[in-house]
Amino acid sequence: MNAAAAPSDDTLIRIRGLTTVLNGKKVFDALDMDIPRGKVTAIMGPSGTGKTTLLKHITGQMRGDAGQVLVDGKNVPELSREALYALREKIGYLFQNSALLTDFDVFENVAFPLRQHTKLPEVLIRNIVLTKLQAVGLRGAAALQPSELSGGMARRVALARAIVFDPMLILYDEPFVGLDPIALNQVLKLIRTLNQTLGITSVLVAHELDAIKQVADHIYLIANGKVVAQGDPQTIADDGSPWTRQFFGGEADGPVPFQYPAGDYAEALGFPRGEA
Amino acid sequence: MNARIGRDNIVTQSLGQIGNCGLFLLQILAAIPRSLRHARETVRQLWFVGAMSLTIIMVCGLFVGMVLSLQLYHVLSIFGGTAATGTVVAISIYRELGPVVTALLFAGRAGTAITAEIGLMRATDQIAAMELMAVDPLAYVVAPRFLAGLIAMPLLCCVFCALGIFGGHLVGVSWLGIDNGTFWSNMTATVDVWQDIINGVIWKSLAFGAVVALIAVYQGYTAPPTSEGVAYATTRTVVASSIAILALDFVLTAFLM
Repeated sequence: MNAAAAPSDDTLIRIRGLTTVLNGKKVFDALDMDIPRGKVTAIMGPSGTGKTTLLKHITGQMRGDAGQVLVDGKNVPELSREALYALREKIGYLFQNSALLTDFDVFENVAFPLRQHTKLPEVLIRNIVLTKLQAVGLRGAAALQPSELSGGMARRVALARAIVFDPMLILYDEPFVGLDPIALNQVLKLIRTLNQTLGITSVLVAHELDAIKQVADHIYLIANGKVVAQGDPQTIADDGSPWTRQFFGGEADGPVPFQYPAGDYAEALGFPRGEA
Repeated sequence: MNARIGRDNIVTQSLGQIGNCGLFLLQILAAIPRSLRHARETVRQLWFVGAMSLTIIMVCGLFVGMVLSLQLYHVLSIFGGTAATGTVVAISIYRELGPVVTALLFAGRAGTAITAEIGLMRATDQIAAMELMAVDPLAYVVAPRFLAGLIAMPLLCCVFCALGIFGGHLVGVSWLGIDNGTFWSNMTATVDVWQDIINGVIWKSLAFGAVVALIAVYQGYTAPPTSEGVAYATTRTVVASSIAILALDFVLTAFLM
């Protein structure tokens, strides 16, 4: 590992020069990013810019073509399988689609990591699981099957599972999608509480600017494979760059094209040129 | 020219699939020691692929024995050899029909279920979730199902054979009037434990169980994460397993006879 690139104590994740090409498209172009320890960091950007892909690089599910992804001082792409699994035990991950295990009920889904990695007595496992389910408001749903849950409830169960180990880092992939206002507010509070009381570092990939403003300490805006803006929510809001203006203003025109690259529109509709 | 290129592609793809399947087998074998700590999962899978397949295996075994006895009685009666009905029923079932039909039924009942289950687990990110919870899916999902297939097949084959003999007895003795003592004594005098039971039932069903379970878990694990991908993978499990069972049966028979 390059000593110069080693993260300082207050940086949990340091990404340097990450370059990834997928299907001929450069997803990341020498991306640099620092995620501070014990803070809530939001990663935002237009759809398809690789926000979820970035989380996959952090967890070692994907490897870039070049660059370093240092998590707690370890360069993830170079880790052996055992070392990677040891690191993942300290990371909680909330999937976009919850990814609950359909063979198990809600209780067993949350208990799954504890059963796999500890030999805790059943009473203790029960207490931990019920505590986490109470935190997401679903203690009463412990006996339900995943198929009986709504999308928002499944997401909250997945959140309870992600925090069951009190990990050092939680990665949230679109945590607010499908939540009603009450659940959204409770999840925001939970993210903040986990961060403040246990010092858990949180990384959120989300689009909901109002929610992000309430919970994030730092925002990264990525587009075209690079960080185009960063700072605390207020700094980002006042930034005034074309990127932030377009993204947060929801404008179709700007540096990020709304239309996927395509040929001539009139020609596609079969009109002679100039008649569309 | 184009047809030849197409044929070459199919051959290359098939060889590539067989090679990948072989490498996957090595990964499973390496994961088996790690899967021993998930013994409960292996037992659960054994129940699912073994016990839950019992009904179809028993019913089919019974009818195969019955129809075999009926056909043989009429053929052997031409030569006045109906007394050999029990012997021929037993040898046919032990050496060929038992292991082969059980394996084909096993591929259709349990193999497809394994493929669909693993394929859907991948499509719904359950496999990825396990990896992110530092749980090795090869040790937790794949190896227990492979082991369950390996253990269940010989047991199911024994049940199939027992019900097949019973069906043969039912038709031959109870219906067509072959002497009960002749039926059993000719059978026990001719059937060789090593040649017919060990080589025929045990080794063949172990080999078929390994092949079917391997194809099922491989197709499920590598299925594209779409509904169409899982559907194709399930079909491929049945087709590839059936061909592999019949081809392997010929090879094993040639070597074990």
